[in-house]
Amino acid sequence: MIDNNIGIKLSSLTSWLVLIIFMVIFVNMSFAPRVPTESIERQILTNFHLVVGSLLLVLSFFRVYLWVYCPPQNNHRLLPDHEFTQVHILQFMLYITFIAQGISGILTAWSDGIILFLPGADHVNHSVWMTSGYLHSVFGFFYISLILFIILFRIYHLIRYRVLSINVFA
Amino acid sequence: MRNYFTNARGRHWLLVIILFATSAYLPYLIFGAYPFAKKVNLGQDEINNIVQELDLPDYYQLYTDQLTDAEKLLEKAAFDEWEGGKCRFCHAVKKDDRDRMAPSLYRILGRPAGVSVNFTYSKPLIEMRDNGLVWTPETIDAFITDPESFIPGNRMRVAGIKDPKTRELIVNYLIRESN
Repeated sequence: MIDNNIGIKLSSLTSWLVLIIFMVIFVNMSFAPRVPTESIERQILTNFHLVVGSLLLVLSFFRVYLWVYCPPQNNHRLLPDHEFTQVHILQFMLYITFIAQGISGILTAWSDGIILFLPGADHVNHSVWMTSGYLHSVFGFFYISLILFIILFRIYHLIRYRVLSINVFA
Repeated sequence: MRNYFTNARGRHWLLVIILFATSAYLPYLIFGAYPFAKKVNLGQDEINNIVQELDLPDYYQLYTDQLTDAEKLLEKAAFDEWEGGKCRFCHAVKKDDRDRMAPSLYRILGRPAGVSVNFTYSKPLIEMRDNGLVWTPETIDAFITDPESFIPGNRMRVAGIKDPKTRELIVNYLIRESN
Protein backbone atom coordinates (compact mmCIF):
# COMPACT_ATOMS: atom_id res chain seq x y z
CA MET A 1 0.00 0.00 0.00
CA ILE A 2 1.33 3.44 -0.95
CA ASP A 3 1.28 6.34 1.53
CA ASN A 4 -1.48 8.81 0.55
CA ASN A 5 0.82 11.82 0.05
CA ILE A 6 3.25 9.83 -2.03
CA GLY A 7 0.32 8.38 -3.94
CA ILE A 8 -1.00 11.84 -4.80
CA LYS A 9 2.42 13.00 -6.01
CA LEU A 10 2.95 9.81 -8.00
CA SER A 11 -0.54 10.16 -9.51
CA SER A 12 0.24 13.68 -10.66
CA LEU A 13 3.61 12.68 -12.08
CA THR A 14 2.18 9.65 -13.88
CA SER A 15 -0.65 11.73 -15.36
CA TRP A 16 1.82 14.23 -16.83
CA LEU A 17 3.98 11.41 -18.19
CA VAL A 18 0.94 9.80 -19.78
CA LEU A 19 -0.05 13.14 -21.33
CA ILE A 20 3.42 13.62 -22.86
CA ILE A 21 3.65 10.04 -24.13
CA PHE A 22 0.12 10.23 -25.49
CA MET A 23 0.99 13.37 -27.46
CA VAL A 24 4.13 11.76 -28.87
CA ILE A 25 2.25 8.65 -29.96
CA PHE A 26 -0.60 10.74 -31.38
CA VAL A 27 1.84 12.62 -33.64
CA ASN A 28 3.48 9.34 -34.62
CA MET A 29 0.06 7.84 -35.39
CA SER A 30 -0.87 10.82 -37.56
CA PHE A 31 2.31 10.61 -39.66
CA ALA A 32 2.78 6.85 -40.06
CA PRO A 33 -0.05 6.10 -42.55
CA ARG A 34 1.34 8.72 -44.97
CA VAL A 35 4.70 6.93 -45.23
CA PRO A 36 5.02 4.13 -47.85
CA THR A 37 4.54 0.72 -46.21
CA GLU A 38 7.72 -0.85 -47.61
CA SER A 39 10.07 1.98 -46.61
CA ILE A 40 12.58 1.92 -43.75
CA GLU A 41 10.99 5.08 -42.33
CA ARG A 42 7.68 3.25 -41.97
CA GLN A 43 9.33 0.37 -40.12
CA ILE A 44 11.01 2.84 -37.77
CA LEU A 45 7.69 4.61 -37.15
CA THR A 46 5.93 1.28 -36.56
CA ASN A 47 8.58 0.09 -34.09
CA PHE A 48 8.50 3.45 -32.35
CA HIS A 49 4.70 3.19 -32.13
CA LEU A 50 5.01 -0.25 -30.53
CA VAL A 51 7.61 0.80 -27.98
CA VAL A 52 5.93 4.06 -26.95
CA GLY A 53 2.48 2.43 -27.03
CA SER A 54 3.70 -0.32 -24.68
CA LEU A 55 5.11 2.31 -22.35
CA LEU A 56 1.74 4.09 -22.37
CA LEU A 57 0.04 0.78 -21.54
CA VAL A 58 2.32 0.15 -18.56
CA LEU A 59 1.95 3.71 -17.25
CA SER A 60 -1.84 3.52 -17.63
CA PHE A 61 -1.92 0.32 -15.60
CA PHE A 62 0.11 2.06 -12.89
CA ARG A 63 -2.16 5.12 -13.03
CA VAL A 64 -5.27 2.96 -12.58
CA TYR A 65 -3.59 1.23 -9.63
CA LEU A 66 -2.90 4.65 -8.07
CA TRP A 67 -6.45 5.76 -8.85
CA VAL A 68 -7.89 2.80 -6.94
CA TYR A 69 -5.76 3.43 -3.85
CA CYS A 70 -5.65 7.24 -3.95
CA PRO A 71 -8.81 8.35 -5.83
CA PRO A 72 -8.86 12.04 -6.87
CA GLN A 73 -10.67 14.33 -4.43
CA ASN A 74 -12.92 17.26 -5.18
CA ASN A 75 -10.70 20.13 -4.07
CA HIS A 76 -12.91 22.81 -5.60
CA ARG A 77 -15.33 24.24 -3.07
CA LEU A 78 -17.65 25.61 -5.78
CA LEU A 79 -17.85 22.46 -7.87
CA PRO A 80 -20.77 20.16 -6.95
CA ASP A 81 -19.92 16.51 -6.35
CA HIS A 82 -22.05 15.23 -9.22
CA GLU A 83 -20.15 17.45 -11.68
CA PHE A 84 -16.83 16.33 -10.23
CA THR A 85 -17.92 12.69 -10.52
CA GLN A 86 -18.88 13.11 -14.16
CA VAL A 87 -15.47 14.43 -15.19
CA HIS A 88 -13.62 11.87 -13.13
CA ILE A 89 -15.60 8.97 -14.57
CA LEU A 90 -14.58 10.21 -18.02
CA GLN A 91 -10.95 10.53 -16.89
CA PHE A 92 -10.95 7.10 -15.30
CA MET A 93 -12.42 5.64 -18.50
CA LEU A 94 -9.65 7.40 -20.41
CA TYR A 95 -7.02 5.32 -18.62
CA ILE A 96 -9.08 2.15 -18.99
CA THR A 97 -9.29 2.93 -22.71
CA PHE A 98 -5.51 3.37 -22.93
CA ILE A 99 -5.13 -0.09 -21.38
CA ALA A 100 -7.69 -1.60 -23.77
CA GLN A 101 -6.02 0.26 -26.65
CA GLY A 102 -2.65 -1.19 -25.66
CA ILE A 103 -3.92 -4.75 -25.36
CA SER A 104 -5.76 -4.60 -28.70
CA GLY A 105 -2.65 -3.01 -30.26
CA ILE A 106 -0.37 -5.80 -29.04
CA LEU A 107 -2.86 -8.35 -30.36
CA THR A 108 -2.96 -6.57 -33.73
CA ALA A 109 0.83 -6.45 -33.99
CA TRP A 110 1.13 -10.09 -32.93
CA SER A 111 -1.49 -11.33 -35.42
CA ASP A 112 0.21 -9.27 -38.17
CA GLY A 113 3.57 -10.91 -37.47
CA ILE A 114 5.23 -7.69 -36.28
CA ILE A 115 5.92 -8.99 -32.78
CA LEU A 116 6.63 -12.53 -31.78
CA PHE A 117 6.23 -14.08 -28.34
CA LEU A 118 7.06 -17.71 -29.10
CA PRO A 119 9.76 -18.32 -31.72
CA GLY A 120 8.46 -20.57 -34.47
CA ALA A 121 4.85 -20.44 -33.32
CA ASP A 122 2.16 -19.90 -35.97
CA HIS A 123 0.86 -16.49 -35.03
CA VAL A 124 -0.18 -14.64 -38.21
CA ASN A 125 -3.96 -14.67 -38.25
CA HIS A 126 -5.93 -12.34 -40.49
CA SER A 127 -9.23 -12.79 -38.62
CA VAL A 128 -7.62 -11.83 -35.29
CA TRP A 129 -5.88 -8.93 -37.06
CA MET A 130 -9.19 -7.63 -38.45
CA THR A 131 -11.05 -7.86 -35.13
CA SER A 132 -8.26 -6.51 -32.93
CA GLY A 133 -7.46 -3.83 -35.52
CA TYR A 134 -11.09 -2.74 -35.57
CA LEU A 135 -11.12 -2.58 -31.76
CA HIS A 136 -7.84 -0.63 -31.77
CA SER A 137 -9.54 1.90 -34.03
CA VAL A 138 -12.70 1.94 -31.85
CA PHE A 139 -10.68 2.67 -28.70
CA GLY A 140 -8.81 5.38 -30.62
CA PHE A 141 -12.05 7.16 -31.46
CA PHE A 142 -13.27 6.55 -27.92
CA TYR A 143 -10.35 8.27 -26.20
CA ILE A 144 -10.54 11.19 -28.62
CA SER A 145 -14.22 11.64 -27.73
CA LEU A 146 -13.45 11.26 -23.99
CA ILE A 147 -10.74 13.94 -24.14
CA LEU A 148 -13.07 16.21 -26.11
CA PHE A 149 -15.86 15.82 -23.54
CA ILE A 150 -13.50 16.31 -20.58
CA ILE A 151 -12.41 19.62 -22.14
CA LEU A 152 -16.04 20.58 -22.80
CA PHE A 153 -16.94 19.82 -19.17
CA ARG A 154 -13.99 21.88 -17.95
CA ILE A 155 -15.21 24.82 -20.05
CA TYR A 156 -18.75 24.30 -18.73
CA HIS A 157 -17.48 24.27 -15.12
CA LEU A 158 -15.60 27.49 -15.75
CA ILE A 159 -18.69 29.23 -17.12
CA ARG A 160 -21.28 27.78 -14.74
CA TYR A 161 -19.36 27.42 -11.43
CA ARG A 162 -16.33 29.68 -11.98
CA VAL A 163 -14.05 26.72 -11.41
CA LEU A 164 -10.94 26.72 -13.56
CA SER A 165 -9.09 23.44 -14.08
CA ILE A 166 -6.74 22.71 -16.95
CA ASN A 167 -6.43 19.16 -15.72
CA VAL A 168 -7.53 16.85 -18.55
CA PHE A 169 -5.63 13.66 -17.69
CA ALA A 170 -6.48 13.78 -13.93
CA MET B 1 -12.78 4.17 -4.59
CA ARG B 2 -16.03 2.53 -3.53
CA ASN B 3 -17.45 5.85 -2.35
CA TYR B 4 -16.35 7.44 -5.56
CA PHE B 5 -18.37 5.02 -7.65
CA THR B 6 -21.28 5.09 -5.23
CA ASN B 7 -21.64 8.79 -6.05
CA ALA B 8 -21.98 8.01 -9.73
CA ARG B 9 -25.46 8.06 -11.17
CA GLY B 10 -26.85 6.37 -14.25
CA ARG B 11 -26.51 9.50 -16.35
CA HIS B 12 -22.79 9.68 -15.60
CA TRP B 13 -22.32 6.24 -17.13
CA LEU B 14 -24.84 6.89 -19.87
CA LEU B 15 -22.52 9.44 -21.45
CA VAL B 16 -19.67 6.90 -21.43
CA ILE B 17 -21.93 4.28 -23.05
CA ILE B 18 -23.12 6.71 -25.73
CA LEU B 19 -19.54 7.76 -26.53
CA PHE B 20 -18.38 4.16 -26.76
CA ALA B 21 -21.31 3.13 -28.95
CA THR B 22 -20.59 6.04 -31.31
CA SER B 23 -16.89 5.17 -31.36
CA ALA B 24 -17.68 1.55 -32.17
CA TYR B 25 -19.53 2.68 -35.30
CA LEU B 26 -17.00 5.27 -36.53
CA PRO B 27 -14.35 2.93 -38.07
CA TYR B 28 -17.13 1.42 -40.19
CA LEU B 29 -18.60 4.80 -41.07
CA ILE B 30 -15.33 6.57 -41.89
CA PHE B 31 -13.04 3.83 -43.21
CA GLY B 32 -15.58 1.19 -44.23
CA ALA B 33 -13.80 -1.21 -41.85
CA TYR B 34 -15.53 -4.36 -40.65
CA PRO B 35 -14.64 -6.22 -37.44
CA PHE B 36 -14.77 -9.72 -38.90
CA ALA B 37 -13.06 -11.37 -41.85
CA LYS B 38 -14.90 -14.04 -43.80
CA LYS B 39 -12.33 -16.63 -44.82
CA VAL B 40 -13.88 -17.80 -48.12
CA ASN B 41 -16.58 -15.98 -50.07
CA LEU B 42 -16.89 -18.27 -53.10
CA GLY B 43 -15.25 -21.62 -53.83
CA GLN B 44 -12.60 -21.82 -56.55
CA ASP B 45 -14.80 -24.15 -58.66
CA GLU B 46 -17.63 -21.65 -58.65
CA ILE B 47 -15.23 -18.83 -59.59
CA ASN B 48 -13.85 -20.92 -62.48
CA ASN B 49 -17.37 -21.68 -63.71
CA ILE B 50 -18.29 -17.98 -63.79
CA VAL B 51 -15.08 -16.98 -65.59
CA GLN B 52 -15.22 -19.78 -68.18
CA GLU B 53 -18.67 -18.73 -69.30
CA LEU B 54 -17.46 -15.18 -70.01
CA ASP B 55 -14.50 -16.00 -72.25
CA LEU B 56 -12.45 -12.99 -71.13
CA PRO B 57 -8.95 -12.27 -72.46
CA ASP B 58 -5.97 -12.96 -70.20
CA TYR B 59 -5.11 -9.39 -69.29
CA TYR B 60 -1.79 -10.40 -67.80
CA GLN B 61 -0.61 -12.24 -70.94
CA LEU B 62 -1.49 -9.21 -73.05
CA TYR B 63 0.65 -6.96 -70.91
CA THR B 64 4.10 -6.14 -72.25
CA ASP B 65 6.51 -4.42 -69.94
CA GLN B 66 7.90 -1.60 -72.08
CA LEU B 67 7.73 1.16 -69.53
CA THR B 68 10.61 3.30 -68.40
CA ASP B 69 11.43 3.51 -64.70
CA ALA B 70 9.91 7.00 -64.59
CA GLU B 71 6.62 5.72 -66.03
CA LYS B 72 6.58 2.85 -63.53
CA LEU B 73 7.09 5.32 -60.72
CA LEU B 74 4.16 7.37 -62.02
CA GLU B 75 1.90 4.30 -61.91
CA LYS B 76 3.05 3.44 -58.42
CA ALA B 77 2.52 7.02 -57.26
CA ALA B 78 -1.03 6.98 -58.67
CA PHE B 79 -1.81 3.84 -56.66
CA ASP B 80 0.03 4.93 -53.53
CA GLU B 81 -0.65 8.62 -53.28
CA TRP B 82 -3.47 10.02 -55.40
CA GLU B 83 -4.82 13.01 -53.57
CA GLY B 84 -8.32 11.72 -52.72
CA GLY B 85 -7.03 8.68 -50.83
CA LYS B 86 -4.35 6.05 -50.90
CA CYS B 87 -5.29 2.69 -52.46
CA ARG B 88 -2.37 0.99 -50.70
CA PHE B 89 -3.68 2.14 -47.32
CA CYS B 90 -6.32 -0.62 -47.50
CA HIS B 91 -5.38 -2.87 -50.44
CA ALA B 92 -2.53 -5.32 -50.87
CA VAL B 93 -1.49 -5.70 -54.50
CA LYS B 94 1.63 -7.86 -54.69
CA LYS B 95 1.58 -11.65 -54.54
CA ASP B 96 3.44 -11.85 -51.24
CA ASP B 97 1.68 -8.92 -49.58
CA ARG B 98 -0.24 -9.76 -46.45
CA ASP B 99 -4.00 -9.15 -46.64
CA ARG B 100 -4.97 -5.72 -45.37
CA MET B 101 -8.27 -4.13 -44.38
CA ALA B 102 -9.70 -4.39 -47.92
CA PRO B 103 -9.46 -7.28 -50.43
CA SER B 104 -6.13 -8.00 -52.11
CA LEU B 105 -5.99 -6.69 -55.67
CA TYR B 106 -3.45 -9.29 -56.81
CA ARG B 107 -4.72 -10.74 -60.13
CA ILE B 108 -8.05 -9.00 -59.75
CA LEU B 109 -8.63 -8.59 -63.49
CA GLY B 110 -10.84 -11.29 -64.93
CA ARG B 111 -12.09 -12.24 -61.48
CA PRO B 112 -15.74 -11.96 -60.39
CA ALA B 113 -16.46 -9.24 -57.83
CA GLY B 114 -16.73 -10.21 -54.17
CA VAL B 115 -14.77 -13.47 -54.19
CA SER B 116 -11.51 -12.63 -52.39
CA VAL B 117 -10.61 -14.61 -49.30
CA ASN B 118 -10.17 -12.98 -45.89
CA PHE B 119 -12.70 -10.22 -46.44
CA THR B 120 -16.35 -9.67 -45.54
CA TYR B 121 -18.07 -7.97 -48.46
CA SER B 122 -21.00 -5.60 -48.28
CA LYS B 123 -24.38 -6.92 -49.31
CA PRO B 124 -24.62 -4.64 -52.38
CA LEU B 125 -21.29 -5.93 -53.69
CA ILE B 126 -22.38 -9.56 -53.21
CA GLU B 127 -25.56 -8.72 -55.11
CA MET B 128 -23.49 -7.22 -57.95
CA ARG B 129 -21.42 -10.43 -58.06
CA ASP B 130 -24.59 -12.48 -58.23
CA ASN B 131 -25.73 -10.23 -61.08
CA GLY B 132 -22.53 -11.06 -62.97
CA LEU B 133 -20.07 -8.26 -62.19
CA VAL B 134 -16.56 -9.27 -63.22
CA TRP B 135 -13.51 -7.03 -62.78
CA THR B 136 -12.09 -5.93 -66.11
CA PRO B 137 -10.12 -2.74 -66.87
CA GLU B 138 -13.42 -1.14 -67.90
CA THR B 139 -15.42 -2.13 -64.81
CA ILE B 140 -12.58 -1.17 -62.45
CA ASP B 141 -12.32 2.17 -64.23
CA ALA B 142 -16.06 2.72 -63.87
CA PHE B 143 -16.00 1.66 -60.19
CA ILE B 144 -13.13 3.90 -59.12
CA THR B 145 -14.58 6.84 -61.05
CA ASP B 146 -17.47 6.95 -58.59
CA PRO B 147 -17.72 3.90 -56.29
CA GLU B 148 -20.97 4.97 -54.65
CA SER B 149 -22.78 5.41 -57.98
CA PHE B 150 -21.41 2.19 -59.44
CA ILE B 151 -22.26 0.03 -56.40
CA PRO B 152 -24.54 2.01 -54.06
CA GLY B 153 -23.96 1.06 -50.42
CA ASN B 154 -20.51 -0.49 -50.90
CA ARG B 155 -17.86 -0.01 -48.18
CA MET B 156 -15.07 1.66 -50.18
CA ARG B 157 -15.05 5.12 -48.64
CA VAL B 158 -13.50 7.23 -51.40
CA ALA B 159 -15.17 9.95 -53.41
CA GLY B 160 -13.91 8.63 -56.75
CA ILE B 161 -11.06 9.44 -59.11
CA LYS B 162 -12.22 11.99 -61.64
CA ASP B 163 -8.98 12.17 -63.62
CA PRO B 164 -9.02 9.48 -66.39
CA LYS B 165 -5.22 9.47 -66.61
CA THR B 166 -4.89 8.61 -62.89
CA ARG B 167 -7.41 5.80 -63.28
CA GLU B 168 -5.52 4.43 -66.25
CA LEU B 169 -2.24 4.52 -64.31
CA ILE B 170 -3.84 2.66 -61.41
CA VAL B 171 -5.29 -0.08 -63.63
CA ASN B 172 -1.93 -0.46 -65.39
CA TYR B 173 -0.21 -0.70 -62.02
CA LEU B 174 -2.58 -3.47 -60.94
CA ILE B 175 -1.78 -5.43 -64.11
CA ARG B 176 1.98 -4.89 -63.82
CA GLU B 177 2.18 -5.82 -60.14
CA SER B 178 0.20 -9.01 -60.76
CA ASN B 179 2.59 -10.21 -63.47
